[in-house]
Amino acid sequence: MANILEISDKVCEYMRSKENLKGDLTISETESNEITVKDGKFTLFRTLIDNEISIKVIKDNKYGTTKLNKCNEEAIIAAVDDAIRSAESADADECYDIAPGLEPAEYKLGVLEPDIDRLMERTKELSETIATRFKKIKLMEMYTKYHKGKSVFVNTNGTKDVKDFGYYEIFLEFAGNDGESSTGVMWSAAIFDSLDKDLITLGNIEKDLTDAERSLNPMKISDKFEGEILLTPSCVSMMLNIVTANTVSDSAIIEKTSVWLDKVGEQVASPLLTISSKPWDERIIDHEVHTEDGFRSEDYTLIDKGVLKCFATSLYASNKCGVNRAANSATDLIVEPGDTPYEDIIKGMKKGLIVGAVSAGRPGANGELAGVAKRSFYVENGEIKGAVIETMISGNLFDMLGNVKAVSKEQVCDGTMAVPYILVDKVTISGGN
Amino acid sequence: MLEDILTKQKSLFTTGAQSVLRGQESRFRRVVISDGNLVTNDRSEESGICARVYQNGAYGFASMAEYSEEAARKVIEKATKNAGYLDKFNAEKKKAYPGIPNSYITSPRMIIDFEQKRIIDLCKEIDAHVAKTYTDLISRTIVYREDTMEKVIVTSDASDGHVAYPRCILYVLLNKMSADGQPMELFKAFGGFGHIEDHFTDLTHVYEGVEELYKDLCAKANGVYADAGVKTVILHPEVAGMISHEAVGHTVEADLVLGGSVAGPNLGKQVASELVSIVDYAHTAFGTAAPLPVYIDDEGTPASDAVLIENGILKGYMNDRESAAHFGVDPVGNARGYAFSDEPLIRMRNTTVLPGKDKLEDMIASVDDGYYLLQTGNGQADLTGEFMFGINMGYEIKNGKLGRAILDTTVSGVAFDMLKTVDMVSDTVTWSANGTCGKKQFMAVSMGGPAIRCKIMIGGR
Repeated sequence: MANILEISDKVCEYMRSKENLKGDLTISETESNEITVKDGKFTLFRTLIDNEISIKVIKDNKYGTTKLNKCNEEAIIAAVDDAIRSAESADADECYDIAPGLEPAEYKLGVLEPDIDRLMERTKELSETIATRFKKIKLMEMYTKYHKGKSVFVNTNGTKDVKDFGYYEIFLEFAGNDGESSTGVMWSAAIFDSLDKDLITLGNIEKDLTDAERSLNPMKISDKFEGEILLTPSCVSMMLNIVTANTVSDSAIIEKTSVWLDKVGEQVASPLLTISSKPWDERIIDHEVHTEDGFRSEDYTLIDKGVLKCFATSLYASNKCGVNRAANSATDLIVEPGDTPYEDIIKGMKKGLIVGAVSAGRPGANGELAGVAKRSFYVENGEIKGAVIETMISGNLFDMLGNVKAVSKEQVCDGTMAVPYILVDKVTISGGN
Repeated sequence: MLEDILTKQKSLFTTGAQSVLRGQESRFRRVVISDGNLVTNDRSEESGICARVYQNGAYGFASMAEYSEEAARKVIEKATKNAGYLDKFNAEKKKAYPGIPNSYITSPRMIIDFEQKRIIDLCKEIDAHVAKTYTDLISRTIVYREDTMEKVIVTSDASDGHVAYPRCILYVLLNKMSADGQPMELFKAFGGFGHIEDHFTDLTHVYEGVEELYKDLCAKANGVYADAGVKTVILHPEVAGMISHEAVGHTVEADLVLGGSVAGPNLGKQVASELVSIVDYAHTAFGTAAPLPVYIDDEGTPASDAVLIENGILKGYMNDRESAAHFGVDPVGNARGYAFSDEPLIRMRNTTVLPGKDKLEDMIASVDDGYYLLQTGNGQADLTGEFMFGINMGYEIKNGKLGRAILDTTVSGVAFDMLKTVDMVSDTVTWSANGTCGKKQFMAVSMGGPAIRCKIMIGGR
């Protein structure tokens, strides 16, 4: 196996030897062992050994990047030269830059020594639990995985971060199936760092399986009305990803398509909402140690009690548009919990849906959303009446942020996020009949 | 170009196990110019070898990021060991699936690489044209993307091959303020199979396409919300192609059939109007090369066409070798992996609705109150056949004539119900070769269709 510390030093030295060049380099070695189960049978065991080398160069204020997976000094130096040639073809822009040098740091994060036999036992146990407890679940595919790696990040300003990491991962794809009919495909996933607990307790796996069974024989809604929707944590995460891409990302700010361009410091959402990106939250398993630009990653709050605090922008967008640089480039979403229990939120709903996912065209910059409610249940007078099919919801994402009525006390934590249920009012719900 | 260093490793395959060794190199080129600023300027490459070994109904798989004889030996050894490890946990053993006669298959095109300067200059030229010609935009973005792959496939009991899939796509995205102060966006894609000089030596067709795009965007900037409900619509070939891929294609992939898809109990049954036939072409369609031709899949199966629906009757599924054995049919080359480290999955290739006899003008003229839906940004479908497509561009049809543009919306339905409402099919197939399917792994796919008239649920306010 290549000595990536030595190679990174030599390549960085080579980059420093070039006139008017600044840049950074990441070399990663990874290994994954993955076990796949289909319909209760072990079908695939994969071992993947990979490298990834990412190079960024800025020469005479011209920018180029390249990636490769050949981990030897000769190939990486050739790739640096290739990146320089790419950069020389570009126009100069003084806004391209890298972070100043940081104190060298070493991180050892997560599970560095796996127990594959124990992972296999836990996988088998979960497969048997599903077969026993969830008789109306068809487990189409489930994989468990141990992923480990070592990465070195260096830049021409003197930073050298060394990170050893390892974690377990689980993914399930399943459907409710009673032998005669099937629900749509559903998923549940988590990453984790311990095999001490039953896998069914991770993330939202148990509830997702329960919801899938309850989704058999769905009802059709016959009318169109304005109602409430209770978004599940995974649906909240999906919606917030769209909102941030359309409002606070590099492209939204550089292209000036964001409707929040001049809203920093202003109320853009309900005071019930506080939304952060926190790679160092203890519930996040794989921590980002530096940003894509090479700054030390820190937690930050994007929206505090409904007030927009900053943008999620890179160093380039920050320089280009005169806005803040985000304190991390991770997507570790933390939404603060509210004070209403989930069950009480449902009891308080007059007419609406619990929405597990929305299958929709990606909303444009104006935030207009129209999509099919998936993994969804109809609620009337505080009671869940049943799963729905062929039901659409429509509205504006920015209006929805303002129309939040409640945030649940419970959060779902799956190793990548900690997010509660969120109740939104005044959404158009229409059935197919 | 990859040298075939794998064939000589066949001697390492374990007797009695069904083994495949695949070497692969993938190249990606990406340039993004946003409002004249080069925000992405990237070249990346990855290569490696994987081995897959099938034993008693389970697969062992291993990959390494290195294309060498030593790496080949290591991945065969590891994959064989992994298959043996799993075998201990499976009480029920399966037989080997049928062998395939050996042949050596190549594709007629290999990959040609171009300097990044050529790509950047192309994007800058188009960006300058857009900036000069269309001065009332909020923003403009030019994206160039190449995703090419070359594979050497060596098997224990099927065909071997050396094939390449070059593809380049250029997107133009325009953004304009609507009449009520909302940002409106629209994009158009150009290119497909081949390299930059196949598609962008002469830019006339790009500029004509951008002009159409701009006109549609202006119409959309004054657009209205669609009236929600079940409507009679004409689906542009691009949207019909998305239906053939998402709403039908995925439900007839054998792994999803085994997972309980709606296609399972409907084989041999009428699932669509008699006017509807759908085929997944391998490498040749309508007497010419298919948009993304596939000659051999990653299990060593020589590729041929898969007839999915014929005159409204569901005729068959798409399979890999294992599922084909399960259903008692011959595989036709649908098993493909995206990265060198990906195991092959059942994937579509060039999936299209076959043409009918109607003229598009007559179809539009036949609608009293409905919509002409022109462009879809994305789509999803489910095991149940329930599907959704985002509609980025469309027009009202009133009394047989096109009316106002509509704002972004979504259409949905249940595939086998919706397809039964098809009552007109146009006589010309239009392909789109810029699709990237996201079923567990990415995969380049093409889809096509004629325009079709049907009833569909449309979202709105």
